[in-house]
Amino acid sequence: MTPQLAFLIGLFIVVVVLLLTRKQWAPALIHAVPSIWRIAKITVAEARRRRVIQAVVILVVLILISMTFFSYLSPQEQSRMLISGGLAAITVFGILLAIFIAAFLIPQELDDRTVYAILAKPVRRFEFVVGKYIGALIILAAIVVTMTVVLIGVLLIQNQFVQDLPDSAFNPNLKGVVFAAVMNYFAIAVLTALIVLISTVASTTMTVVSAFIIWAVGSLQSTISDLAAHAEIPVTKALLTIAYIIVPKLENFDFRHEVSNFVPVSYTAAWNPLIQGVGYIVVVMILASIFFNDRQV
Amino acid sequence: MASGEVVLQIEGLTKVYRSLFTPVGVKAVDDLNLSVRRGETYSVVGPNGSGKTTTLKILLGLIFPTAGTASIFGKDIADLSVREQIGFLPEDAYLYDVFNGEELLDFYAGLFGFSRQRRRELTDELLSLVGMQANRKVPFRECSKGMRQRLALAQALVNDPELLILDEPTSGLDPAGRQQMTRLILELKRRGKTILLCSHFLAEVEEVCDRVGIMYRGRLVAEGTLGELAGAPTEIIIATSGLGADKTEQLAGHAAVLGIEDGIVRMGHEAGEELWSVLEAIHRAGGTILEVSRPRPSLQDVFVKAIRQDTSEEAQ
Repeated sequence: MTPQLAFLIGLFIVVVVLLLTRKQWAPALIHAVPSIWRIAKITVAEARRRRVIQAVVILVVLILISMTFFSYLSPQEQSRMLISGGLAAITVFGILLAIFIAAFLIPQELDDRTVYAILAKPVRRFEFVVGKYIGALIILAAIVVTMTVVLIGVLLIQNQFVQDLPDSAFNPNLKGVVFAAVMNYFAIAVLTALIVLISTVASTTMTVVSAFIIWAVGSLQSTISDLAAHAEIPVTKALLTIAYIIVPKLENFDFRHEVSNFVPVSYTAAWNPLIQGVGYIVVVMILASIFFNDRQV
Repeated sequence: MASGEVVLQIEGLTKVYRSLFTPVGVKAVDDLNLSVRRGETYSVVGPNGSGKTTTLKILLGLIFPTAGTASIFGKDIADLSVREQIGFLPEDAYLYDVFNGEELLDFYAGLFGFSRQRRRELTDELLSLVGMQANRKVPFRECSKGMRQRLALAQALVNDPELLILDEPTSGLDPAGRQQMTRLILELKRRGKTILLCSHFLAEVEEVCDRVGIMYRGRLVAEGTLGELAGAPTEIIIATSGLGADKTEQLAGHAAVLGIEDGIVRMGHEAGEELWSVLEAIHRAGGTILEVSRPRPSLQDVFVKAIRQDTSEEAQ
């Protein structure tokens, strides 16, 4: 049985259990939606007023704009460099911001004790966790959209410049760029959910360190799989296999290489990671809610 | 005014904090029994670390008890609907500091599902109740300690709660701020709210509370009305001036007088007719009577006595 099949079977079981027990959780969910939304909104509003996030986004925008200065490259090379570098910047800074936003999302509320006034109201703990997560997703979506729009703008402006050159082959491939950015956002969403889960049981430092490890392992899943297949020490083999099964396969969301090298992208190839990603998020958020429910604040 | 209906009932509540380094655990609350009646202002007083805040956190579902039960309005504290009737003022006003008073109240009111119109009305009402109408747009982080505390009280009132739980409401406030907060608590009491208040400012407790529970080392070591705790007055005190040394000696010989020092005449509290004869004697001796009082022991005296008694009982 492949890990993907095992995951899908697991997801199917969860869905069946949820459907069978809907009478227990559906009324609670209906009551929960307004609270979740209000907590998400205040999370977004709070992040909007924090200068650090704005500073990082401005930095990325400047990096993207500065990439247009490589005018000594051929138009095609320049296009490749812009798309590849731009998407890499969106991925790296998107993930870094996701780690720092998500790792502090709940611990900060506990440290500042702002959680007291919220949990003393008729708010279930899962509503708080899910609300914070959705708030983080909205912030990260705004950041990824901003960076993608800037990248597209840079590509369009550059396209105008090189069109006047003889035998221009700039080909900005905007549709592919948007597709890669959307897939990148889903990778961020999966990682954010996992960080929120870890932050419900671990300290902030531990969460940040774990997030970086998960990012590294998740981005190198095919290498991990190869290492697991060739490992001779049983413990190493077992650990690598567990890492391969548990850690989300973030590299499956990475279409940067195809888009920047003008390889035709099969959009249907996105379905598999997307379905897995959504299933992963649901399971992880259920676990995060269970862990936070038992936490003494 | 307090009625007979019990609003808050705590039975055998115990909380033990355990960690890797303290497997035996630290008992923060030890077999606590307590009840608060409707309309009553009940204060839990005790030194730092006596288990007051831990008890409040258990009642709010922020931490979980090791043993015992607690119910509010007859429902177990784990029941979420209980929190629709509770307002909580945390110690040190922990609210989001990037928002102003108006935004904060709108957010907290939203958690109760109120419509936009109702939230706006509530925000106006509460800001004027706590005297923050003029400063409604000031970000929380720029507010003074007193303003923060008043905003925190306003957020505790967004649902018009029947039971208010106040944790150290005057902690860190200057005398003017403390007086303002005490006035607000008295106003809420006048409106019929049941109030559970934790504090170690005994003067404030004396001013607002109907009943007091003294907590020490996680246990309730004394409980009752201020009168019950203080007991009956033990002395009559007459403050005088203008009494010479010879007259003072003469007065000290009076059967009902327990002692005279610096113009203060002390008499047994059951003195009846003797009081008049002593007053007459002071007058005849050319002294001026400044004040006659039958002071009860202050809450501070009661508090110190209860703690000493508990400590000595434990030593035995």
